[in-house]
Amino acid sequence: MSRTFYLFRGCLIPTRLPFLERSSIFVLDKMKVHYEPLPGATCCVEPIGLRSLAVDTWLVAAARLLSIAEENDRDILTLCNGCLMSLKEAKHALKSQKIRDRVNEVLAGIGRRYTGKTEIIHLVDLIAKRRTALDELVVKRGTGMRVAIHPGCHLVRPTKLTSYDQSYYTRALSEIASSLGAEVVAEEDWPNCCGGGVSNVNEVLSSKVLDELIDEFATAGANCILTPCPFCFVQFDLRQKRGMPVLYFSEFLALALGASSEEIGLRYHKTKVVV
Amino acid sequence: MKKSVFDPMLLTAIREVWSDLTLWECHQCGQCSAVCPSLSHGGIRIREIIERVMLGAINVEKEDAIWSCMMCQSCTERCQLDVNPSFIVTLVRNLASERGHIPKHYLEEARLFIRTGLSFPKTGLTKKMRSEMKLDDIDIDQKTMDEVKFIVNRTRLGRLGL
Ligand code: SF4
Ligand code: SF4
Repeated sequence: MSRTFYLFRGCLIPTRLPFLERSSIFVLDKMKVHYEPLPGATCCVEPIGLRSLAVDTWLVAAARLLSIAEENDRDILTLCNGCLMSLKEAKHALKSQKIRDRVNEVLAGIGRRYTGKTEIIHLVDLIAKRRTALDELVVKRGTGMRVAIHPGCHLVRPTKLTSYDQSYYTRALSEIASSLGAEVVAEEDWPNCCGGGVSNVNEVLSSKVLDELIDEFATAGANCILTPCPFCFVQFDLRQKRGMPVLYFSEFLALALGASSEEIGLRYHKTKVVV
Repeated sequence: MKKSVFDPMLLTAIREVWSDLTLWECHQCGQCSAVCPSLSHGGIRIREIIERVMLGAINVEKEDAIWSCMMCQSCTERCQLDVNPSFIVTLVRNLASERGHIPKHYLEEARLFIRTGLSFPKTGLTKKMRSEMKLDDIDIDQKTMDEVKFIVNRTRLGRLGL
């Protein structure tokens, strides 16, 4: 498995949360995963707002990204639940010959062609497949963290497209967290929405959803939230009123693999994390 | 339900956005609504929206509820008839956008994408954090931007007149 991935960073992480990119790179390097940035990368087409304005723009732009990876026979590794959903749904829609032909007609204008060879994988799934390698590299296990696990909607749903066999009571994140010594005190049987999808459109609704979720975590005795989605991360870190710290998946891993909080930029969190 | 609205061309218009619909499979069981976090906090009533789309009983230029869906995909996961309710919302939003009913934030996001290829702005803080974290400048080259422009001009986003 020394295949090189194209690391697709998306928009939110590189522009607003570069420290999440840093900790992800730290983890990939430690685990000797080969990667290069996806050349010619653009927005995945963000699947909640932008895609809602123009589905065909989404489909062609996503197919373009996939065709670049195909051209060089690479799979795409993503750090973002939103990018995962956008690209996987596009790949699914492009199974229809009719749709594929129409998309390729546009792509031909920029000298590209989509064939459907490339796979898309999220960091969580990559790590879940390499648990033994991870275990061997851990230098710091557990620091009194009582975590609430928050997978985020688009990692697991719809199961028709994700690599999960069921969308409820998913285990991957919890198992990784406990194997690294954290105490998992809250899990979401049916992975919850953080309210992020309407945070810029309907703030009242968004906060209600967010507050309810955090209350559940607090009641369960959590002192930290663990999530692999940068959009959920923003909800928890910037918009949450209770002040419960959040760690993005790669930050949590990086700390266990010996990174200092300084080098992975934990200081950039608005809700301070003490490790 | 607002019975006063009737748009006999609604489904035809939606089919022009996306032709493969399984809307008629819906038997109004309400399982989508039962798992909808938006509805449980007073947002979109998804089962009702599906019914109203079938009946043409939505004025897409005015219907704010369609923008209260969080795209959490719970409804789509739950629906046993593969109606894909969250995608129906996406399609109705496409139609609303075409007719000028777009939340301001998304309008700005779309303009940013057309201009920069990204959906979030690169700010001074981005630059500062990236250099402190020893990361590259995420510059998008001209060829890529030309390709983005080409795609935008050949698809719906280019027709929205942003
Ligand atoms: S969309 Fe699916 S879950 Fe919702 S009412 Fe129709 S059949 Fe039931
Ligand atoms: S995708 Fe939208 S309509 Fe469907 S359950 Fe989630 S918030 Fe409700």
